[in-house]
Amino acid sequence: MTELRLEGVSKRYRAGTDETTTAALTDVDLTVRDGEFFTLVGPSGCGKTTTLRTIAGFEEPTDGTVSFDDEPMAGVPPEDRDVGVVFQSYGLFPHLSVAENVGYGLRFRDPPGGVSVDERVAELLELVDLEGMGDRAPDQLSGGQQQRVALARALAPAPDLLLLDEPMSALDARLRESLRRQLTRIQSRLDITTIYVTHDQEEALAISDRLAVMNDGRIEQVASPQTIYREPETRFVAEFVGDNNVFEGTVVARDGDRCSVDVGGKTIAIPAVSNGAERVHFCVRAAALSPAVEQNQLSVSVETSEFRGETVRAYGRWNGVPIVLQLEESPADEITVGFEPSSVHVLEP
Amino acid sequence: MRRRTFVGAIGSGAALGLAGCLTQDGDESDDSNGDPEPEELDLEGTLEVVTYESMIDGDNPAGPWLKEAFEEEYPDAELEWVQLPDQGIGHYINQAQGGQEIDADVYFGLNIDDLVSVDDNLEEGGLFRGLNADRIERSSRIRDGLDMGDPHDRVLAYDTGYISLVFDETEVDEPETFEDLTEAAYEDALIAQNAQTSDPGQAFLLWTIDAFGEDGYLDYWRDLRENGVRAIEDWSESYYGAYMNEERPMVVSYSTDQVFASAEGNDLSRHQIGFLNDQGYANPEGMAIFEDADSVDLAYEFLDFVLSNDAQAEIAERNVQFPAVEDEYVDLDDEFDQYAHVPPEAVTVGYDDLRGNLDEWVDDWAREFASQ
Amino acid sequence: MSATGRVAAGRVRAWLERHAIGLTALVTAGILVVMLYLPVGVVFVEAVLEDGTPTLGHFADVLTDPFYFGILADVFAEPLAIGTHLGSLAGWLAAISISLTLEYPLPGVDLPVPWLAVDTPGVRKGLFGFTAYQAALSTVASVVLGLPAAYVLANYEFYGRRTLRSLTILPFVMPGILVAVGFYAMFGRAGTLNGLLGTVGLGPYAFIETSPLAIVILAHAFYNAPLVARLTVAAWESVDARTVETARSLGASERRAFRDVVVPQLAPAVLTGALLTFIFTFMTFPIVLALGGLQLATVEVWIYDRIQRLDYAEAATLAILETILSLGLTYAYLRYESAQTGFARAPSPPPKERLVPDLRTALSPRRLAIFGYGLVALVLFVGPMASLVVGGFTDGSGLTLRNYSFLLERQLEGASFQTLPLPAIRNSLLFGVATLLIAVPMGVVISVLTARTGRSGTIVDTLAMLPLAVSGIVFGIGLLQGLVFGIPLPGGWRFQVTGAVAIVVAHAVAAYPFVTRNVSPLLTNLDPAMTESARALGASRFRALFDVELPLVANGIVAGAAFAFAISIGEFSSTVILASGGESYTMPVAVERYLGRRSGPAIAMGTLLLAVTAASFVVIDRVGGRYEL
Repeated sequence: MTELRLEGVSKRYRAGTDETTTAALTDVDLTVRDGEFFTLVGPSGCGKTTTLRTIAGFEEPTDGTVSFDDEPMAGVPPEDRDVGVVFQSYGLFPHLSVAENVGYGLRFRDPPGGVSVDERVAELLELVDLEGMGDRAPDQLSGGQQQRVALARALAPAPDLLLLDEPMSALDARLRESLRRQLTRIQSRLDITTIYVTHDQEEALAISDRLAVMNDGRIEQVASPQTIYREPETRFVAEFVGDNNVFEGTVVARDGDRCSVDVGGKTIAIPAVSNGAERVHFCVRAAALSPAVEQNQLSVSVETSEFRGETVRAYGRWNGVPIVLQLEESPADEITVGFEPSSVHVLEP
Repeated sequence: MRRRTFVGAIGSGAALGLAGCLTQDGDESDDSNGDPEPEELDLEGTLEVVTYESMIDGDNPAGPWLKEAFEEEYPDAELEWVQLPDQGIGHYINQAQGGQEIDADVYFGLNIDDLVSVDDNLEEGGLFRGLNADRIERSSRIRDGLDMGDPHDRVLAYDTGYISLVFDETEVDEPETFEDLTEAAYEDALIAQNAQTSDPGQAFLLWTIDAFGEDGYLDYWRDLRENGVRAIEDWSESYYGAYMNEERPMVVSYSTDQVFASAEGNDLSRHQIGFLNDQGYANPEGMAIFEDADSVDLAYEFLDFVLSNDAQAEIAERNVQFPAVEDEYVDLDDEFDQYAHVPPEAVTVGYDDLRGNLDEWVDDWAREFASQ
Repeated sequence: MSATGRVAAGRVRAWLERHAIGLTALVTAGILVVMLYLPVGVVFVEAVLEDGTPTLGHFADVLTDPFYFGILADVFAEPLAIGTHLGSLAGWLAAISISLTLEYPLPGVDLPVPWLAVDTPGVRKGLFGFTAYQAALSTVASVVLGLPAAYVLANYEFYGRRTLRSLTILPFVMPGILVAVGFYAMFGRAGTLNGLLGTVGLGPYAFIETSPLAIVILAHAFYNAPLVARLTVAAWESVDARTVETARSLGASERRAFRDVVVPQLAPAVLTGALLTFIFTFMTFPIVLALGGLQLATVEVWIYDRIQRLDYAEAATLAILETILSLGLTYAYLRYESAQTGFARAPSPPPKERLVPDLRTALSPRRLAIFGYGLVALVLFVGPMASLVVGGFTDGSGLTLRNYSFLLERQLEGASFQTLPLPAIRNSLLFGVATLLIAVPMGVVISVLTARTGRSGTIVDTLAMLPLAVSGIVFGIGLLQGLVFGIPLPGGWRFQVTGAVAIVVAHAVAAYPFVTRNVSPLLTNLDPAMTESARALGASRFRALFDVELPLVANGIVAGAAFAFAISIGEFSSTVILASGGESYTMPVAVERYLGRRSGPAIAMGTLLLAVTAASFVVIDRVGGRYEL
């Protein structure tokens, strides 16, 4: 199995006719451990797909190195990198049958474990629950089935790395969830190092061992889902991951392990800020804002609310700051909530 | 049919009425002694003769007969026909300019304007040898007025044709003069050819220059154009396309037209020959020996052979052209005499007048015609 | 073979496979340098030299000559005198008058039609202006006449459809002289059409005399409408029908779905056809003069004249201006084409309807319109060819076989120095197949290298169209001077290229742009994820191309191959120039050589040319059809 490392990887494209370039990736450092399910998440245009294509060898980085198990990949064409790729559009070969699609990679690499090509194809089709579909044309399959064919095809030659580029984005929500479970099941069974690209933070948090949040060609934070969720390092991560209320204010007083911050005219108590910064960004998770807490009370004007089964998600504003709440009942138009200073997470400036 | 085959000129000085600038040179050729006759003739080997397509590939052409008969007479010799390249004489001018040796010995089918082109682009009197007339006994048989006017004596005529009108007598009366063609009776009646791309077209243009002078021909053509004359690319399209599908009742063509029409079984009323001003424009075809020729002796023998009785008759009848030699040196079928018409008077514009003028005449005419 | 031998052989194969595209590109570049850039450069350089020193004088002379550029010549002469130019434009606009009149558009038929007459004061178009004008009209006519054919061939099933589709490019191979003679035989006052009309008491009409320009434009459409049709059929059969179904399911009417979904998928092919038609008809040569006469002369006529008169400087200047115009248009078009980024997943053409399922349907307005178009096509496309063929079997006294007995006799008794029919046929077929084998890889590799590569790709792609954008006359003379006469090298050597191989390569150079133009739009439309998936699975770039992309663009390749074959069969000028030995003549060369004071033998040879070519097209489409989806 394989460990993947990106060191100082940058990618610039020439824009238009003039000599200026636009950076798609800037100084990306990343290590993906052997057997890990690793996700690149971020808004569209953040560089996550470029990163994936650089790993696969479809793009050569302008600077920096990509290495598999310490072996630098510069100049190695995609066909020699032993990666399996599943694209957003699947890229199935419409003129070949499902079995021929799955078996295509076995024209160039012997099936693992000394089995025959036919056996390997049958094995893979079984793995993705498509037994007996081998003779169909890809066009005759549903979107979810096509996606699984693409996955089986990518896995057939037993690649060192599995790269998935938004493979679920064309599917409906329910199918997505069941395929997601199937994917994690297969991934852990094969124990294959997997890089998964998505713009869906929920999906990213749900399936990854670790993930990298990307923004504007840079990596904002690499951590486990729990850490990303609870301890976002930057304002971008906090906002992107969702369920977070982000505030910005000026430190007005320090008092031991607390300090007071002026946010739009209201003084809020938060844990002490270690450095001597004047301006401070901090976030509070939706679930930590409660009508029952009497500290740091904010009176929020509610705009919409969504029923979420056990809870209600409400969106509104306080002092111009967008606020998200997780409540037990649908709120009135105005609601006052407070939060404990201990639930505040201070962000990097 | 090759584009540049049928134009030529013979000197019939009396017929030239150009505004004082066209005169016929007498024989001032002191370089005509050319190649002295060697003690012993070398009559072995291959003679490469360049000629145009219809001499070789046409319907019953003279080429194969000439080869066979020549080789019979000179058993140690082989005559090899070479297809004239597409660019015609320009090909050999280019080759000479590029300093390349020319393999061929004889050029068969040379026109006066070819020689003009040679002398305009290479050194004066170049590309071909000045011929030693003494070595070609039968050259004295060539009719008066067919000496082609080359001051450097590089060329001998071997046949000639005449440009005339061909018309449908059921649709129009025979036009008598050039001026008639600008009358209302002949409105939209005449098909001519583009003098840039067609030999009969160029010959007809030169004929009008002979008739109206170089200061008058453009005015005449303006009148013709107003009367609806059309200048079609080439003889084949104008004749087999437009004329034979009865687009118009008159076409610029050859005075031998009836020979073909009768062989095709056509009604001769559409194949009447009209000689404007009782003239026809003569187009002699000539032969010359390349300067680089290897088989010079054989080449001289070939030129002489082409002027023999049998060869002259075969060329005339197979290619449907008129012999270059006086009547007493050739016997033609009666049918040929019946259908091939000779104009009462032959006119042509000779070498000296074409020299330095031809391109400009044609260009002025074409610009006038094609102006948009 | 030993184990190490096998490994070595495997390595060689792997190396070859990995570098196959690069090597093909290299060979293509080499061929283009020797067989295109060198010969064209040899002539073009004359335009900027005066006695060996560089000059722009030739361009200045041509650009400021009103004969060539009409009123634009003044602008070129004094580009900065804007006030004067605007003044003359205003004067011209003020002199336009519009009036309503009654016209009788059909000659001899008393049917008045109200006609809005726009009377503009004469503008001096100049030779370039007129050339562009007639090319634009010809392009419109070719598109208008070609699209219905594409519609019928792509959407309806009927007996002989495949054969008909194969034969659409037949006009492409006809020598100009035969097209001219065929048009006169069809539309002349004593032609076939008037003969047919006469049987119902109409006519005769002077179709050609009434408007030579219209006939020239129709003749251009005769050549080019089939080109438009063939390109469009290939695209139409590659339309993703599911996108139509999606649009319909979203509530679009049939018409609306066609406009929003099908039209954008066809547009590149139609515009390619229009572009090629404009370029071809801009550089038209024998047809305009043969049917219209010198009044309709084009730039190419003057290039021919200047070459004949050995005035290479002016010929090259005119030709360069032609080429600049053609390449400019090509570049503009290719920018548009590369901006089209709809990824079709796979061709899944709509099922074909039966053309005549029953009598009732056959009488529906749409079917009747199709039959009406069929009649027009019969007159315009089949008519000239059929009239020509019939002409080969007749003479003044009725039916005859003497033209064919001429061919037979020449074959059986002809001397070695004569042109024989069978070798001409054999050479044509051999050269055609060899051309196809070279032109298809050349064209495909250029498509692959330029697809989806942005502006630099567009520039390369534009330059790759050079063979179509260079005057055929200039190319011919360049081959003669650059390759037949040869380029002197140091040490007394001379670089010369002639003979059969040179002919084939020259044909391939003329033909590969058709492959590229047929393949590129389809290739650009393929989902790049397919190639990339294949590569990630271990396929080299070449294998991915071979296994995935080529099968999916087979329609375009077969169409391109058919064009390549047609170009080779119909090619005349470079063939005669390079066939220096005289043995390498082809069918069109034989036609030209048999053309004498009697037209019969040439027409008989032309009929053979049509028959052999038609049979070949059917075979190509049948063989190629097996690879189509």
